[in-house]
Amino acid sequence: MIGVELRKTFGRPRTWVTIAVLNALPVLVAVLLRLTDLAPRPGEGPPFLSAVLTNGQLYPLAALAIVLPLFLPIAVAVVSGDAVAGEAQAGTLRYLLARPAGRTRLLVAKLLAVLAFVVVTVVVVAAVGYLVGTLLFDARPVAAGTSVSGTSLTPEQLAGRTVMAIGYVAVSMLGVAAFGLFFSTLTDSPLAAALGALAVLVTSSLLFTLDAASPIAPYLPTRYWLAFVDLFRDPVLWRDVVRGLALQGVYVGVLLTAAWANFATKDVTS
Amino acid sequence: MSRHGRARRWSLVVALVAVLASLPAVVGALPADDADVAAADLRDAVLASDGVGFSGYAVSAGGLALPVGDQLPAVADLLSDRTALRVWWRGPAEHRVDVVSAAGETGVHVDAGGSWTWEYESATATRTAPAALTLPAPPDLVPATLGRRLLSEAADEELSRIGARRVAGRDALGLRLVPAAPAASVARVDVWADAGTGLPLAVEVVAEDASVPALDTRFLDVDLAVPPAEVVAFTPPADARVRTGQDAEGLLREAGRRLAPVPLPGELAGLPRRTLAGAPEAVGLYGSGVTLLAVAPIPARLASAIRSTLAAAPDAVRDERGTRVAAGPLGLMLVDAPGAGTYVLTGTVTLDALADAAQTLTGGPS
Repeated sequence: MIGVELRKTFGRPRTWVTIAVLNALPVLVAVLLRLTDLAPRPGEGPPFLSAVLTNGQLYPLAALAIVLPLFLPIAVAVVSGDAVAGEAQAGTLRYLLARPAGRTRLLVAKLLAVLAFVVVTVVVVAAVGYLVGTLLFDARPVAAGTSVSGTSLTPEQLAGRTVMAIGYVAVSMLGVAAFGLFFSTLTDSPLAAALGALAVLVTSSLLFTLDAASPIAPYLPTRYWLAFVDLFRDPVLWRDVVRGLALQGVYVGVLLTAAWANFATKDVTS
Repeated sequence: MSRHGRARRWSLVVALVAVLASLPAVVGALPADDADVAAADLRDAVLASDGVGFSGYAVSAGGLALPVGDQLPAVADLLSDRTALRVWWRGPAEHRVDVVSAAGETGVHVDAGGSWTWEYESATATRTAPAALTLPAPPDLVPATLGRRLLSEAADEELSRIGARRVAGRDALGLRLVPAAPAASVARVDVWADAGTGLPLAVEVVAEDASVPALDTRFLDVDLAVPPAEVVAFTPPADARVRTGQDAEGLLREAGRRLAPVPLPGELAGLPRRTLAGAPEAVGLYGSGVTLLAVAPIPARLASAIRSTLAAAPDAVRDERGTRVAAGPLGLMLVDAPGAGTYVLTGTVTLDALADAAQTLTGGPS
């Protein structure tokens, strides 16, 4: 069943169109930067973007930082919101459930397909970012670069930390995927499920900027998204990275349990 | 599926959420072990803790809207914002404090010969010579440093014990400083010090008539092991811009040269005059501990800049004694003394105390 779901996800042209659209923005930003040489002022704009003019190898991180606040979560919300509600809307859900595999297994298969989409999307954005960065900007093959703390990082260290950052961004999207999947079991409309997940994210991002909401800030799903920057400090600041991973784990655990509680007993009519 | 099974599944979800939601409260409510230590002894332990090596992560929240205009943005931000600090402390002359922001950081590396300041966003390393007096900087907000500074002149009768609490996962003994001087604008300073080493782990400064702290700085993580020297040391990266920082000593000398010494009274607002290493002679300093008042004669151009800042302050107090403004416990006033030029009065004293001092300086009845 898992293989079927994976083939279904990656066999659809719209999955690849989504990934292509996601890559368009970082590529456009890179081309504009190359043409104008106008990097954002220090401390402004997405993390690492001001540094890419001097080191193109940092562009995968800048590309992820560009799509992380909005584009990536929208894509994940749309795909995860479609997981169950899309089948219901198309009228295929009851046929899927007619198979002996069971609802819990179907839910797990849907979840793994969404996870695979998240991982593939993040890796593709980083890979395209690397290609664009090394083609358009200067790369430093020997001295790989400087950490945020002003120490030198070897190319191996920079590569290792970039891989960790890509993994961290992928995990950060799991919470969005879990919200989308949960809402997808509540409604027959994929659009409603995706918008529900996005509403949660917009609320979380808004509350994070409010001082009055600071007591609940550590529990907001978007609170630790930018913590991948901490992997490039020296020594690495693990505090927010570990909290970010744990928080996503909690959201995924709770929402999947809720999705299972709802879906396993739901009356499926379409 | 049965209605029964559905209820059972949802009750499992509710139980899971309840357990997870209550975890932070349960951890936060863990009781702290108090110790039978006298307030004066705890202060002595705090003051002796500057040799305790540690590393940690602290957060400082300031609520002071300083009336400094655009002249000192870094200081204004430091005391009005939430600042996240990473600290590695090997000793008073060998430590590192990083101000961590979402997309960058500013690191101050102190060694025996001065300090390096690294700014990631502008890839700039600035070497600064040590000075007796400097503007407030991020290392001053580290709970350990601030706690020692605020308690350094505390008298025994100003101190009391306030139990214990958990700070950064450690038992911290509470010490409250209530300044004795009637002119004081600081209502109290609460310092929470590590039970074993006396290292201050949290500091709260509360102004008179305020319910929330004007400054609250605390460790969220702390490790009482001496950090390695290579983490504290700094070598500018090859492609960094290297600059020499502002010569604070030279600036103070220049200020001392330009400001003609004027006769100032031996006492202002009930506070006795004092000396401070590095301060220009023309600047009069009064008080002790956390109740301090500075009086400086200033040139006309600077006076008009401060006057316009004061005029723009919405909560300034204006009456026949002059215009004065408070930012939390910090007061500021401009005084024109007939025939003696203009003075700026500032410090951690009440607005009434500032007005009293102004009247003394202008020769009126206080």
